[in-house]
Amino acid sequence: MSVAGGTAIRIEEDPEQAAKGEIPAFADIVRDHQSMVFGLAYHFLHDRGLAEELAQEVFLELYRQLDRIESPAHLVFWLRKVASRRCIDQIRRRSFWPKLRLDEVPEPAMKTDGRDPMLSRALSRLVASLPEKPRMVIILRYQEDLAPAEIAQVLDMPVATVKSHLQRSLDMLRDKLARTVGEIAI
Amino acid sequence: MSYLDDELKTALRRTEPPAGFAERVLERAKAPALPEPSWWESLGVLMRPPRLQWVALSVVMSLMIPAAGVYRRERQRAEGEKAKEQLMLAVRVAGGKLHRVQRKVLEMGRMDTRI
Repeated sequence: MSVAGGTAIRIEEDPEQAAKGEIPAFADIVRDHQSMVFGLAYHFLHDRGLAEELAQEVFLELYRQLDRIESPAHLVFWLRKVASRRCIDQIRRRSFWPKLRLDEVPEPAMKTDGRDPMLSRALSRLVASLPEKPRMVIILRYQEDLAPAEIAQVLDMPVATVKSHLQRSLDMLRDKLARTVGEIAI
Repeated sequence: MSYLDDELKTALRRTEPPAGFAERVLERAKAPALPEPSWWESLGVLMRPPRLQWVALSVVMSLMIPAAGVYRRERQRAEGEKAKEQLMLAVRVAGGKLHRVQRKVLEMGRMDTRI
């Protein structure tokens, strides 16, 4: 897995240090994977402060359990799994999240026929309004480029459920976006 | 790859955290772990709002549920006693009337034999 490549070299260079949770090896792991963990949290929660807090908690949990990590691929899998679980728990535990349905999200006021940073922001907002599990499925699919089977492993759900979440969420996003951008082939 | 796929990949690409993120994580990792709270401290946490409200509510509910059960049983017993008394009274009234009717029948029988 390309994402884990950098960490693989470092852990294999000094496995004892990493297994003991020594700070320099751990610092490298954090720097290598911070954009993945923070990205998952940020796209899910849509709040930079909360996303940073959650990402920090994920790395602190990793620090405590570093001796259980078996390989670089396992490290990446573990980080995705823990980050996803914590994101979903965060939403369920706190009622800070506005109870918005996708249909209730106002359509962004724009008309465009090409790539646009505003379109990305609008799409990101639409994704953030999806229900918890479909939202995480979409984020893992498009941020991490995972196949449905890999998403199923990370989220502990049947592959068929992942596919169904993907299909339904994409249909909803396509529909909402079509109304926003007009006649573009989506 | 559709237009939507491309746009989603762009919108949901990995995001760098605010500057100094790794340093903040390392600082927290280096900080000594907090000792496990004692039983007494855990109880103290329960006695602070907003948990105190939930504790109070739980205590009230745990008292009210058995009290409601006892009240219901007592009410059913009282209603049963009342129904029993009414039945006994009805039996007594009916018994008295029956006795009077029986006496009259006997008197009428004696008058018939004299005639």
